[in-house]
Amino acid sequence: MNTIKGLLLKDLDVFKNFKGNIIFSILMFLFLIIVGSIQNDIFTVGSILFLIFFGMNSISTFSYDENADSDKYLLSLPITRKEIVLSKYLFVFLNSFISIIVGIFVSYIITVLIRGKVNNIGDSLRICFLAFTSVSFLMCSNVPCIYKWGVEKGRMQSVIIPALFIFVIGILGCLLLIIFPELYLNIDLIYLFKISPIICLILNILFYLVSYLISYKIFLNKSI
Amino acid sequence: MEYNLEVINLEKKYYDFNLDKINIKIPKGKIIGLIGENGSGKTTTIKAILNLIYYDNGNVKIFGKNSKELTKKDREKIGVVLDDSFFANVLNVNDINKLMKNFYSNWNEELYYKMIKEFKIPCNKALKEFSSGMKMKIKVLCAIAHEPKLLILDEPTNGLDPIFRYEIVELFNNFVNNGENSILMTTHITSDLEHLADEVIFIDNGNIILDILKKKLDEEYGIVEILEENFKKIKKEDYLKSLKYKNEYFILVNSKKEFQKKYQELEVRIPTLEEVMLLLVKGE
Repeated sequence: MNTIKGLLLKDLDVFKNFKGNIIFSILMFLFLIIVGSIQNDIFTVGSILFLIFFGMNSISTFSYDENADSDKYLLSLPITRKEIVLSKYLFVFLNSFISIIVGIFVSYIITVLIRGKVNNIGDSLRICFLAFTSVSFLMCSNVPCIYKWGVEKGRMQSVIIPALFIFVIGILGCLLLIIFPELYLNIDLIYLFKISPIICLILNILFYLVSYLISYKIFLNKSI
Repeated sequence: MEYNLEVINLEKKYYDFNLDKINIKIPKGKIIGLIGENGSGKTTTIKAILNLIYYDNGNVKIFGKNSKELTKKDREKIGVVLDDSFFANVLNVNDINKLMKNFYSNWNEELYYKMIKEFKIPCNKALKEFSSGMKMKIKVLCAIAHEPKLLILDEPTNGLDPIFRYEIVELFNNFVNNGENSILMTTHITSDLEHLADEVIFIDNGNIILDILKKKLDEEYGIVEILEENFKKIKKEDYLKSLKYKNEYFILVNSKKEFQKKYQELEVRIPTLEEVMLLLVKGE
């Protein structure tokens, strides 16, 4: 457990290096959400913006590790390959999770202070969960690419693979509707939206689990 | 004899390079130097010992156990310096201490900061602001601050100034003084090993070309420097290797006494490790 804590601290220490960027981003975010809230209720947009600003930053810790060839050094210490991969996934997850929670909290306070209340808070939170799941999908498809090809060499694959995945799912969905047109009429989109947090939870677990197993397998067989 | 590290018939094949039947034994209390030019297989051997690469054949035993079956406690007894790999360069000495405390249950914070102070390393500067020599100092301190029993050092004196090289040689000498600890050290700066190594292993193109006790090397091997016309008088079977440099020939002999008996007029001196490496690799 201490090893995982140490590895998380290592990535957090790298994050400290972006202190200036983080403060600037927070100020930008606050400015946008305060100005935006005067005109409209932008609680959802604010939360998602915060998630995008900060939730995807964790990939940069891979760059720092790659530049210093840190994995080689870490594996020469009493640290296993499993712990390295597990800590990375924990860091990626915690970073996105904390970002969306802070985003929701800050956006809520600002919206309430400026507009008095947040409209349709339940629906807004559902949209935030959907955004969080989309970010999880992106991160979970990026991490195995990084383990396979590295941050620099895997840049192209990190874009192509999730895009290809979405394209294939889209095509399959269209084919399904062409073959079974009655399906379209029977799908209760409102009901699906209502239960979306449960679907999101299942999808998040699935994304992280499958992605972790793929990354671990890649890293296990890799000569460092 | 008890060994802290045994490498037995280690083989690793790449498409353009092979590590061929490498055998290394490091007894307790000894320092072994692995010497070779760049690309000779030193780092690949270290990587195989540390399980950073998968080798094709052979076996590596550390503290008598297969290296793949070492527990965390066993691995805490090893200290490693890798020439080209460390923490991200935005971390500082304090950050590193914080991390190491989590990685090693036997991390000696007091010893770490004592050495940091001794070597005058600033605590709040990021690694990227240090010279390569300064960074190497930190790597060395990290390798010994948990008081390991075995040090595996890949080019630990790279980029160091002569004063710190002297200090580090002293540090390594003290480290093995208790008769229990050992060091495996690769280098292409052979002068560092002159007064440090108990045994030297010369590696070239993935093969061990000479494995000899330093004392024996000094006692039995010799270098003769002669002019070209005199060189022609020496029989090939009387020396190991020869190399022409400018107008002179350098001859490496492996039996100083016998050579001296035959060629009494020639002066035979103790070779430096650099000369031995050069003649073994480039000589004819």
